[in-house]
Amino acid sequence: MNINDVIGGFTLLFSEPSLWLIVVPGILIGLIFGAIPGLQISMAMAIFLPLTLYMDFMQAMLFLTAIFTGGGFGGSIPAILMNIPGTSSSIATTFDGYPMSVRGEHNTALGIGLGASCIGVIIGYSLLFFLIGPISEMVLKLGPAEMAAVILWGITLIASLSGANLNKGIISGLVGLLIGTVGYSEVGVSRGTMGSVYLLDGIPAIPAMMGMFAASELFKLVNSNYLVEDKSLRKVSVRKILAGFLHAFHYPVALIRGSLIGIFVGSVPGVGSSVASLLSYIQAKRKSKNPESFGKGNPAGIVAAEAANSTSEAGSMATLLALGIPGGGATAVMLAAFAMHNITGGPQFIREQTDVVYAIIFANFGQAFLLIILGLLFIPLLANIVKVPMNYLVPSVLAVAVFGAFGLTGDLTGPITVMVFSVIGWLFKRFDYSVPAAVIGILLGGMAEESLIFSYQISGGLWSYVLERPVTIFILVMLVLSLFGGKLVTMLTRKIKQ
Amino acid sequence: MNLKSVKFTRHQQADFVVLLALSSLVIWYLFDAYNASSHFANLILILPVSILVLVLCLIEFISQLRGLHEPPPNLDPIASMLPVILLFVAFVLSLEWLGFDVGTFAFICAFLWLHGERRIVWILAYSITFALLMSLFFSAMLPYPMPMLILPTAY
Repeated sequence: MNINDVIGGFTLLFSEPSLWLIVVPGILIGLIFGAIPGLQISMAMAIFLPLTLYMDFMQAMLFLTAIFTGGGFGGSIPAILMNIPGTSSSIATTFDGYPMSVRGEHNTALGIGLGASCIGVIIGYSLLFFLIGPISEMVLKLGPAEMAAVILWGITLIASLSGANLNKGIISGLVGLLIGTVGYSEVGVSRGTMGSVYLLDGIPAIPAMMGMFAASELFKLVNSNYLVEDKSLRKVSVRKILAGFLHAFHYPVALIRGSLIGIFVGSVPGVGSSVASLLSYIQAKRKSKNPESFGKGNPAGIVAAEAANSTSEAGSMATLLALGIPGGGATAVMLAAFAMHNITGGPQFIREQTDVVYAIIFANFGQAFLLIILGLLFIPLLANIVKVPMNYLVPSVLAVAVFGAFGLTGDLTGPITVMVFSVIGWLFKRFDYSVPAAVIGILLGGMAEESLIFSYQISGGLWSYVLERPVTIFILVMLVLSLFGGKLVTMLTRKIKQ
Repeated sequence: MNLKSVKFTRHQQADFVVLLALSSLVIWYLFDAYNASSHFANLILILPVSILVLVLCLIEFISQLRGLHEPPPNLDPIASMLPVILLFVAFVLSLEWLGFDVGTFAFICAFLWLHGERRIVWILAYSITFALLMSLFFSAMLPYPMPMLILPTAY
């Protein structure tokens, strides 16, 4: 690390105060788009991308990363208040955030989410500051075989979350994987489309997710009067939100572990923040002394999910800056901004424009602090949702989901997908199948198939190829251990006792 | 195992039907994929995953037959949710003809009436305001035209 580059980064950032004027609207745009189900962070960035033509490169980067930072937390607001992940990366936040809301602890849950997000951004970019070099080397070593193994491991772990019935959890995840492969395959044939042209590109994953998570939950809520039944618990309290914010610091292990998972998983192209937050959540549950409290409103669950979700932003930025490869939709838009300013990410960019890289990193520290202020101002407005009677809230949220789904696909495929998957999600919940496992399967099915095909092509069909990949073997061993590890330990303990 | 001694509740019977439906869908999808192309790359994920699902479904079926699962906690009656599900399906399917503006208005009105709201002015005021604001917001934000019946659109 060259100290002159660090000073150069600071100079670049603070020599022109007008640079920061763009950050506040950026964070607000991110918060709003993240908080409205169906409006994705990448969509917000794409919509506002043309504006960056009138900015210099540094301003454009600050504006886009501000949207990214705001959106990272914005998605957790509907996840906590309505069980609707505003973005796919907020899925794990629903697990404990929503039960806390139902218990009347929505203020605390939102505060915890904000706290974990802001700390996550700070930890993530601090790690990026020191580790950008090693991370870029590590990412280059991950091939399709490792990607396929990570996906299978992730689904197995998520299936194990479903609680009592592991078998049904795994069935859900695998059925999700199959649904994720519907449409045109790599060999140019269509599967499972039933002749519909709308399904040739596959089943739209985000509308399916909205249907399975949100609409199915809303069907269940039609018989309730309010989201929080006890009137005395429906109050919106800035003091409690602030207390929740500070409460996030009570879980340092979940924060740090989540941040580490976030930055490494987030840096793997295509895997992204949704998998990072789920893996972090699962690890927090596994390591907890009280794992059965997870899924019932344990604050550590929100901390783990939000920390990883926010840190993965830094991870995907690492890949973008160091390799010029976008990790997901949002960084793909950023790559477009790079191109608009005639800049190419990659090792050369890091070497020649290190001060710019550091300036982007330092800017995100500033954005995290601004997010605290804007979040604390913005959350009390949205938290009032718990005061809305359910007979008004349910149709309104269902309608928002339908509008949002149309926004994602540009035609009625989105709304129809929400409709079909809301019924499937309702059936899954009623008969104890795992909705999160199925959703992650749908999100990752296409990628899993692609990774397997690439591995097959690289290996020439030889199974021995896997034996030459130590990381793949390690992940597969972890997969087996996560399935049978608990039983193995119990069996060994019993034998030793005998 | 004495199957005659195990009595199945209506929920367990429905659980069997869901399991059977899942297995049938997986078999159909496997055959559809195979008929599309028997190329190894086409079935590299679908074949092993389908077989695994079918094996797990069989295990689940046997454990359900043996009554190994605990009965579920009290669930809301289906009859109370069915009208909402049907109303939502009707809303989505009518969007092509009614558009987002009128479709949303009609959906919210019907939902509020179904769930006990009897203040007509209140129902109309809320439905119109909500449908109008949402339609205008999304049509302004999205880069493509939305189906509308009254509001302007290039759909």
